[in-house]
Amino acid sequence: MKSLASKEADTIILAMGNDAIVRGGLEAGIGYFSTYPGTPASEIGEGFASLRSVFPHLHTEFSVNEHVAAHGAQGASWAQVRSMTAMKHVGMNVAAEVLHFAGYTGVGAGFVIVIGSDPGATSSTSEQDDRWYSLHTHLPVLEPASIQEAKDFTVQAFDLSERYNLPVILNAPSKLCHNIGSLRLGSLPERFPAHGTFHRNPTRYVNLFAGSVANHRRALESVGKLSEDIPSLAVNRILPGAGPVGFISSSINYLSLIEALSLLGLQEAPMLKIGMSYPLNRNQVLSFIRSLQRVYIVEDLEGFLEFQIKGMLYDTDTRVPIIGKEIFPDYGELDVDSITALLADELKRELPAQMKRSRSLAEKLTTDIPPRQGSFCIGCPHRSTLYAIVKATERNVIFAGDIGCYTLSCLPPFRAFDWVTCMNCGVGIAQGMLQKLDGDAVLAYVGDSTLFHSGLPNLINAVEQHANLVLVILDNKWVAMTGHQPTPTTAQTVTGEPCKPIDLRGLLRSIGITFIRTINPHNIKASIVAIKDALRAGEGVRVIIADQECALQQERRGKLTPSTSEVYYQIDPERCQKCNECYVEYGCPAIRKVEQETDFYYYIEEVACTRCGACHDLCLNSAIVRTEIRRMTG
Amino acid sequence: MIKYDILITGIGGQGVISLGTVLKLAAIHEGFTVIGAERRGGAQREGVVTSNVRYRGPDKGETLDERAMATSGLIPVAGADMMIAMEPLEALRHAQYLNENSVVIVNDFPLMPVSVKIGEHDYPDRTVIYSRLREFTEHIYPFDIDNLSRERFNSLRQVNTISLGIASALGELPVSEKSLLLIIKEEFPDFATNRRAFQLGRETAQKA
Repeated sequence: MKSLASKEADTIILAMGNDAIVRGGLEAGIGYFSTYPGTPASEIGEGFASLRSVFPHLHTEFSVNEHVAAHGAQGASWAQVRSMTAMKHVGMNVAAEVLHFAGYTGVGAGFVIVIGSDPGATSSTSEQDDRWYSLHTHLPVLEPASIQEAKDFTVQAFDLSERYNLPVILNAPSKLCHNIGSLRLGSLPERFPAHGTFHRNPTRYVNLFAGSVANHRRALESVGKLSEDIPSLAVNRILPGAGPVGFISSSINYLSLIEALSLLGLQEAPMLKIGMSYPLNRNQVLSFIRSLQRVYIVEDLEGFLEFQIKGMLYDTDTRVPIIGKEIFPDYGELDVDSITALLADELKRELPAQMKRSRSLAEKLTTDIPPRQGSFCIGCPHRSTLYAIVKATERNVIFAGDIGCYTLSCLPPFRAFDWVTCMNCGVGIAQGMLQKLDGDAVLAYVGDSTLFHSGLPNLINAVEQHANLVLVILDNKWVAMTGHQPTPTTAQTVTGEPCKPIDLRGLLRSIGITFIRTINPHNIKASIVAIKDALRAGEGVRVIIADQECALQQERRGKLTPSTSEVYYQIDPERCQKCNECYVEYGCPAIRKVEQETDFYYYIEEVACTRCGACHDLCLNSAIVRTEIRRMTG
Repeated sequence: MIKYDILITGIGGQGVISLGTVLKLAAIHEGFTVIGAERRGGAQREGVVTSNVRYRGPDKGETLDERAMATSGLIPVAGADMMIAMEPLEALRHAQYLNENSVVIVNDFPLMPVSVKIGEHDYPDRTVIYSRLREFTEHIYPFDIDNLSRERFNSLRQVNTISLGIASALGELPVSEKSLLLIIKEEFPDFATNRRAFQLGRETAQKA
């Protein structure tokens, strides 16, 4: 198959929405890419990182957070090199400070910010709609509807950024980022920029006092000019049709809407397809609306298009009923099913018979089935850490949760997680709460990547304010949940070369933490003792570092380096008391239950077992037997 | 026009995503459009995973406008022409996407969710699962594909290829057997074994 790096224009490849954005960046000739990985946008960084050998001049980095990533991309843009940064929607909150200035100062070379949004919170702790930021950052927003547009709009975003001297945002929801399908490639530039230059320009870059007011005015004028030019930019388009009722939509909801209308027999309805949701062009929108008797706006979340369009109608005293959030919910994710059902109700149309039948059968026959929630992977160090925490605390502590794979501790069997909101909500909330609690024990979690993201200020504050808490740093050396991007504790760079990881213990000591214990979480008994010690130690911030690399990464490398011995763990049926400690309380998916006519037994699935040894260590009946077979070498 | 939607369901680690990739690459090879979202839930392992494969394209001599080709990433309710379920419960969980004509291939090898392990729920009897599925469509084809793979290849690695063989024999896929084999050759190691596995799938399906 042809790859993302193919030089053959017009070739069709299979690509994910995120891949298409990578290809768009390449076709635009970018020289700098930075990101803090976050689903649904994380594959964008993966894509650029995988192409480093093909495009050696392209700087790619996994920055410590989105604020740093956005600043970095701004710096490259100011050095006259096209740059891109990508983040998930909540990353925008972290990058927001940088991006509130980026419109004022303008760009050097094209500067594009990709936001992976997540209506429905399929992989997030919130579903905020970042398009609203643009009302005060003044950054234009493009919303591609398809994989093809994800690429084409990315290329166009760079041109617009340079033409209007504004950073441009590309907003793609998870249902587009993770859509996989046909993509027609465009051509790649002959050369990529190796170096840029910085031209001093204090009127723009020293954004201070009256200068910042002048820059604000310039940004608004640029947006105004862009708004006027929209009809000539071919970002929005009208699909002519018949009938008095029309539709406005953007993003992949536009495609869902066409499917829904076709299911309802309304495939002829006129449509305005918005590709740029900020700014809008008033004449374009109003001339579409004025040709109709009623218009529906179909978009996810709080109704950003609707807000702007209703304002235009008020300003021009236009009286055409506009219906958006009156019928489409301002929470959750729209899809063909929900749009079809809501419009059928509103427009008094019949749902297709098969749809009606399947829906009612499903209500009757599929609602009482067991849910299937995720769990830690087989061999995951977090499972062992959590098991040890539950045993050491007997759940008699407040669990300050945070964001990472370990967020799964909120699910059974552990259920040792009292809150999760944003990055570093664990120590951050705990250290304030502790000032007002009366001696309660608090155990906070944080992963290595989350700690470096924005945790250090929280931790320093906790030390300064004498917060009495145990912090467990689940140091698995990777940003595992988003697909294993490197963190400062990873011993290799983005290109896979070895590097010196940060000295975590030294760092913790330097901010005044004296109780620091490192555990190998798979040594369950020793881990329980260490956590108990930390809880008993009483004063100040005590840290347990659960130091074990993500099992998936270990497994990947293990395949490359065959070991000199083979280890097996087996359950001895004579000794097994079926106490469920390994199968339920520890919950390793490699331990399986076999039901027989009158009895049942447990066994360890050899193919799945990663030989972490934790079950062997925790078995109360010594029923899990370790066998080592040494291979002859030489 | 070519219009055929396949929903693949299963659990993290079962190869749902790579099955979808093979089916999609075959369409690119044959020169028509394919689209479809992956859904991985919020979890690394043991969570529900789905892959949507939506084939679209004009028949010979046909031209299709933007509205006819418009396809979102997710198959609507009752929209699946075929479902490939790598686990029985996951077939039932996604049954709303089936219609009277849907062809359903189920890997008849149950995997217990955590909610069952900890005793909060019971795993439904498989005869109940299949009789419920038959209310949606009579074309329900359970095969113990895990066991087939283990017996014939002493490994679970061939489960996906066997499933593709079964799918190509039971459904009216717009992609040919030849294209599927070509993509399997490009995407998976050990083509000799995988070709046998694909063939085993076809034979198994023909006996059903």
